[in-house]
Amino acid sequence: MPGLLRILLEAIAVSAVAVVISLLFNALRPAGLELIARTPYQILVPCPEPGGPVQVVQPTNPWILSARTFLVDARSPQEFDLWHLPKAVNLPYDWLDPVPEDRLLELAKSIAASGANRVAVYGDGGRPDSGEHLGKEISGRGIKNVFFVAGGAPTMLARPSHHRSEER
Amino acid sequence: MRATRLAAWLAVPARWYLGVVFVGACLHKIADPGSFALDIATYDILPLALVNLVAITLPWIELGAGGMLFAGWRVRAASLLVAVMMAVFILALLIALTRGLDMSCGCFASQGAEEEDPISRVTVLRDLVWLGLAFFVFAFDRGLLGINRWLQRRSP
Repeated sequence: MPGLLRILLEAIAVSAVAVVISLLFNALRPAGLELIARTPYQILVPCPEPGGPVQVVQPTNPWILSARTFLVDARSPQEFDLWHLPKAVNLPYDWLDPVPEDRLLELAKSIAASGANRVAVYGDGGRPDSGEHLGKEISGRGIKNVFFVAGGAPTMLARPSHHRSEER
Repeated sequence: MRATRLAAWLAVPARWYLGVVFVGACLHKIADPGSFALDIATYDILPLALVNLVAITLPWIELGAGGMLFAGWRVRAASLLVAVMMAVFILALLIALTRGLDMSCGCFASQGAEEEDPISRVTVLRDLVWLGLAFFVFAFDRGLLGINRWLQRRSP
């Protein structure tokens, strides 16, 4: 026991010497830190990304328009009104606010009722892509087989032969 | 008896390794205490009043403990210090991971190098291994190839 006490005292002594040296070094160095921070540090830590797994599907993939695919348009209602894929449901993705719980619940019910076995989300095709992020949110609520269309609506619009559009 | 002697010899590379790790870990913190203070603040565990104080003093304790382990001087005290520091680091990492923080460990690089040193379960595992090594050195080191033994031989 006295041996352990001696070791503990040695450890404390080493720490004390190190603390004294560190304080002296800090006081003498030109860019020393103030001992007590007065202003809080600006911490930028990315929040954990919510949501679940989402896979990418190319806009030319024919199953996007099959009856077994539930289509979700992540763009704004105005963009949706201008053009959207047939049978697509509009669920605008807001970069600042998560999709309301009741809208997601409604969507889940619609997907279940449609008999579709996968969900394809397309968005603005930007970087980041609203479709991909909405897909993650949908997937995060327990809906499986969620895909996002690479390049989003602009890519599909550029390939009109592949996608019969519903324009208004 | 033979096993103890083998363990005593194995403790030598173990303490050299820990010594290098700790000296290596403290250098960037001593060179740039401001960045290390930001690392500590990012964990959001200590009150603001203690952040700078810890950022200034902790690297020097690491340097002292690491140097002592490497040189073989007061090895048991140094390994005790390392074990205590590792336990604190592991606790801080677990708290950060539980909160889901996506940040740099701050162990060998500052927040600016998140890709090089991100926190994860692997970081916790690595620290647990080092904690185990510290205990091993504490329990089995007999001062082989160390300054302590050399000083004892020289003294009349």
